[in-house]
Amino acid sequence: MGVTCVSQMPVAEGKSVQQTVEILTRKLEMLGAEKQGTFSVDCETYHTAASTLGSQGQAGKLMYVMHNSEYPLSCFALFENGPCLIADTNFDVLMVKLKGFFQSAKASKIETRGTRYQYCDFLVKVGTVTMGPSARGISVEVEYCPCVVASDCWSLLLEFLQSFLGSHTPGAPAVFGNRHDAVYGPADTMVQYMELFNKIRKQQQVPVAGIR
Amino acid sequence: MEAPPVTMMPYLLQRSVLDHSLESLIHRLRGPCDNVEPETFLDHEMVFLLKGQQASPFVLRAPCSMDRAGSPWHVRSLGQSEMRNKNCHALVQNCVDIATSENFTDFLMEMGFHMDYEFVAKGHLFRNGIMEIVVYKIYCILVPGNTDNTEAQSFSYLEELSVVAPPGLDMVSDAMRNFAEQLKPLVQLQKLDPKRLL
Repeated sequence: MGVTCVSQMPVAEGKSVQQTVEILTRKLEMLGAEKQGTFSVDCETYHTAASTLGSQGQAGKLMYVMHNSEYPLSCFALFENGPCLIADTNFDVLMVKLKGFFQSAKASKIETRGTRYQYCDFLVKVGTVTMGPSARGISVEVEYCPCVVASDCWSLLLEFLQSFLGSHTPGAPAVFGNRHDAVYGPADTMVQYMELFNKIRKQQQVPVAGIR
Repeated sequence: MEAPPVTMMPYLLQRSVLDHSLESLIHRLRGPCDNVEPETFLDHEMVFLLKGQQASPFVLRAPCSMDRAGSPWHVRSLGQSEMRNKNCHALVQNCVDIATSENFTDFLMEMGFHMDYEFVAKGHLFRNGIMEIVVYKIYCILVPGNTDNTEAQSFSYLEELSVVAPPGLDMVSDAMRNFAEQLKPLVQLQKLDPKRLL
């Protein structure tokens, strides 16, 4: 996987989530990007069951189990500021077996779904973030496919982001951190999605008038 | 996301042979098994426990190859074994196998698991179609984490005949029993109830 930046696009003033997504995708199409199917990323949150807490003597932790349609046979499990595990889809079966120890947080599933666009060496995915039936925001993922070292291509990625996000262009993702010369991988993208989903969860719900 | 159903289970027959019978057993196995050199393996297996207020802790086994660099980590959860079916000549155990990235042990610690014990398994792997026959010796690790400092646990080798197949197929256990007959009287592979060994 190339170096990727995942960010949130604010909903345009006076527009709905869907209308903002349409504005963004129209900009991409005018740039010359070609539609290439759809994508989805989902995230389920688990917390340590009370029965396990006492024996561990530690505060309950939140574990995120995520899936990405780009890697259909894989499952990503991560703790905030902790390790990110990449496993095959039998990890979901394991979580079912561990239900006495880890419980799914109520109404915790959050996902983003949308369209993939290819523009030269860039892969752009614009998705609507939903929790249950309600749209909560917009995610934008941009991958520069030829490069796997963040410090080598961040400037180019930034320039491309500015060409269609304008003033909403994000800063360098936190995952780049001190690891500018490390090889970028899918786990780094999933960490970015986890941070985005957590940020959106904390935000107020998009006003009803804005939802179509 | 719905968890995918587990549809395949290992059927298992086990027994052990004393060290001095190993060469005879390997020679005997070469006959009925596939006409290729048996593979050797050297695995470091760690067993992790997660304790809660449930009666029994949750166990995960993580074997890792020591002689094949780059082999994926592999984690296994063994569930209930089916012993009541008198028509089935093999032990059938509910099993979930998960391939994971290398940081699985760090992740398990983060989940609250702790390592219960570890050992090194060294032996040979034979195949006969879909059957796998492993003959291996278990070595105790004398200093935790140091796989170079080991000691044989016993004067015997464990032999396991296994087939991964959908549950309820008596013909699989029949085929395993027929194969096991060829190894008598050198070794008498049996369906062993793990609960009776504890």
